[in-house]
Amino acid sequence: MNISAKDIHLSYGAREILKGVDIHSENGEFVGLIGPNGSGKSTLLKCIYRILKPNAGQIFLDEEELKAMSIKKSARKMGVVAQHNYYNFEFTVREVVMMGRAPHKKALERDNAKDYEIVEEALKTVGMEGFAQRSFSTLSGGEQQRVILARALAQQTPCLILDEPTNHLDITHQLQLMRIVKNLSATVISAIHDLNIAAMFCDRIYALKEGRIIAQGTPREVLTEDFIRQVYQVDAEIAKDSSGQMHILFKG
Amino acid sequence: MKESRKKTSLYGIVLLILGAGLVFSILASITFGNADISIQEVYKVIFYEIFHVDSFSAYQDGAVHDVVWLIRFPRVLLAAGIGMGLSVCGVVMQAVVKNPLADPYVLGVSSGAYLGAAAAIILGIGAIFGDNAMGIMAFISAVAASFAVLFISGIGGRSSAGKLILAGMAISSVCSAFANFLIYISQNRDATTQISYWSMGSLATADWDNVPVILPIMILATLIFWTQYRKLNLMLLGDETAITLGTDLHKARIAYMLLSSFMVGFAVCAAGMIGFVGLIIPHAMRMLFGTDHKRLIPLSALTGAIFLIWADVACRVILKNSELPIGILVSLIGAPCFIYLMVRKSYGFGGERS
Repeated sequence: MNISAKDIHLSYGAREILKGVDIHSENGEFVGLIGPNGSGKSTLLKCIYRILKPNAGQIFLDEEELKAMSIKKSARKMGVVAQHNYYNFEFTVREVVMMGRAPHKKALERDNAKDYEIVEEALKTVGMEGFAQRSFSTLSGGEQQRVILARALAQQTPCLILDEPTNHLDITHQLQLMRIVKNLSATVISAIHDLNIAAMFCDRIYALKEGRIIAQGTPREVLTEDFIRQVYQVDAEIAKDSSGQMHILFKG
Repeated sequence: MKESRKKTSLYGIVLLILGAGLVFSILASITFGNADISIQEVYKVIFYEIFHVDSFSAYQDGAVHDVVWLIRFPRVLLAAGIGMGLSVCGVVMQAVVKNPLADPYVLGVSSGAYLGAAAAIILGIGAIFGDNAMGIMAFISAVAASFAVLFISGIGGRSSAGKLILAGMAISSVCSAFANFLIYISQNRDATTQISYWSMGSLATADWDNVPVILPIMILATLIFWTQYRKLNLMLLGDETAITLGTDLHKARIAYMLLSSFMVGFAVCAAGMIGFVGLIIPHAMRMLFGTDHKRLIPLSALTGAIFLIWADVACRVILKNSELPIGILVSLIGAPCFIYLMVRKSYGFGGERS
C-alpha cells in the first residue's frame, strides 16, 4: 500500500506550520522524515494519522482519500508508534497489545483465539514474548516502546507511521527497534531525529524546514555536507565505514 | 499463555464466588434488624411470597410478614442495586475523566442533587411529585447538572477529560453555593434538618414501588457498560492513541456520562448521597485484578452490591433502636481505606507514580 500526502497546509492560529507539503511512500518503502526541531515533522505525521486536520490538501492511502474513510477503517490500514511517553496504569503487556485488535472488532465481538495468536506473534516479533503477563508500567522505556510497536503490529496494517519512536531510547534500543521495523514488509513513514539512524535505515528521505520540503532522495543524495550546514548550521563530514555504510561526523 | 489461562480461570472462580456471595448476602442480611424475628420465620415469609405455597399461608400477612417482605427485603435489594450502580459508575467516571480520584459524583451530580433537594424542601418546588418530591427534584437537578457540565466542557471545541473535571468543579461550586444560600435564608429549622439527614444517605425509603424500577436500571446499565470494555480501556490511553486504534472516544464519552448520571440520579433519588463506594470498590478491584475493564466492571458491580448490603446491615445494628445514616458509615470506613490506597506507592493509574 502506498501513502501520499498532497499539498498539505496547516496553521495553528496565525502561525503556518505546514506550507504545502507533498510526500509519497511506495509500497514497502521505508521513508524517513528529517528536519530541525519545529520544522513540522510531527505535525505532518499527525495529519496523516488523523489527530490533526489539515486546512488544505489531501492524503491518500493507495488511491482512497483518507478523509472519506472511517477512523476504524484507517486504523486497519495504518498502525502508529508515537513518541515515547510514560503510561502509568496497571494494564498487562498482553492487554496493551490486545488493544491493537480493537479496529478489527465489532461492537459486541469478543477477543477470540485468533486474536490471542496474533498478539503472541506480535510480541514474539519484538522479542517481548516473555513479558506478556508483566504490568506495562513496570517496563523500561525501551521495553514499553517495543510493546507499543507490538500493538501496532497486532493491528496487522500494511502501513506503519513512526513519530520519532526512538526518542529517549539508548542506542541499543534505537537500533533494535528500527531493525525490527526494517525487517517488516510494511510501508513505513518515520520521523527521525538522528541523521545517522536515518541514513542507516531509510530507502528515501524527505527533509523538512519551516514547513516546506527542501530536499528529497536517497540518504546519500540528501545528506551532504552542504545540506547539513544549510539546514542545521553545523559543520559535518560524511564518512564511510568498512561495510560501505555512510556516517555523518559532526564537528563541534 | 499458560499463565494467562491460569489468571482467566482464577478470575472465573472469583466471579462465581462473588455471585454466590451476593446471593448469600441478600438472604443472610434479611435476618438482621431491630425487630426480633427468627431466621426460620424470615425464610418462610419469603418462600411464601415467591412461590405462594399454601402450607406457609400463615405468613401471608401480619407484623412479621410486613417487616420481612415490605421493609427488609426491598431494602436489601435496593442496597444491592445502588451498591452495584455506584461502583460501576465510579469505574466508568474514572475512565471517562481519566482520573483515578473521580467518583460517581465528580461531575457536579452531588451538588446538583443537593440543590434540587434544598429547592424542593425550602421553596416547595416540585410539590406536584407528591411524597418523594425531594428525591425526584434531586434526580432532575442531578441530571441537569451533568448536562450543564457536558455543555460547558464542549464549548469551544471537543470536551476533554481535563475540561470535564474543571467544568464539574465549577458547576459543583455554583450549585452548592445556591443550596447553601437557600438554607441560610430559610428560617425553617425542620427543612434544614431534613436536608442534612437526606445528604447523609439512607436506604430506609426502599419499598416495592422504587426497587422494581431502580434494580433493573442498575443491572441493565451495568451490562451495557460491560459490553463497552474495549472503549473504556482505550479511554485510559487517551484520545490520540484511541484514534490511531480506530476509535473516536468523543461520542462514547458523552454517552457514558449521560448513562451514569441517570444511574447516579436514581441512586440519589432513592437513597440520598452515599459517597466513597464508587471510589473504594473500583480501586480495590483494580489493585487485585488489574485495569482491564472486561474484568473490572463485573467484579466491581458484584463487590459493590455485597459491600453496600453489609454496610446497611451494620447501620441497622450498630445503634440500638435507631439507625446510623449509611453515608456516614461508608465514609467512616471508606476514608481510611482510601488513605491506605493513596499511600501505597506501588499502585498507579494514569497519574504520577510517586
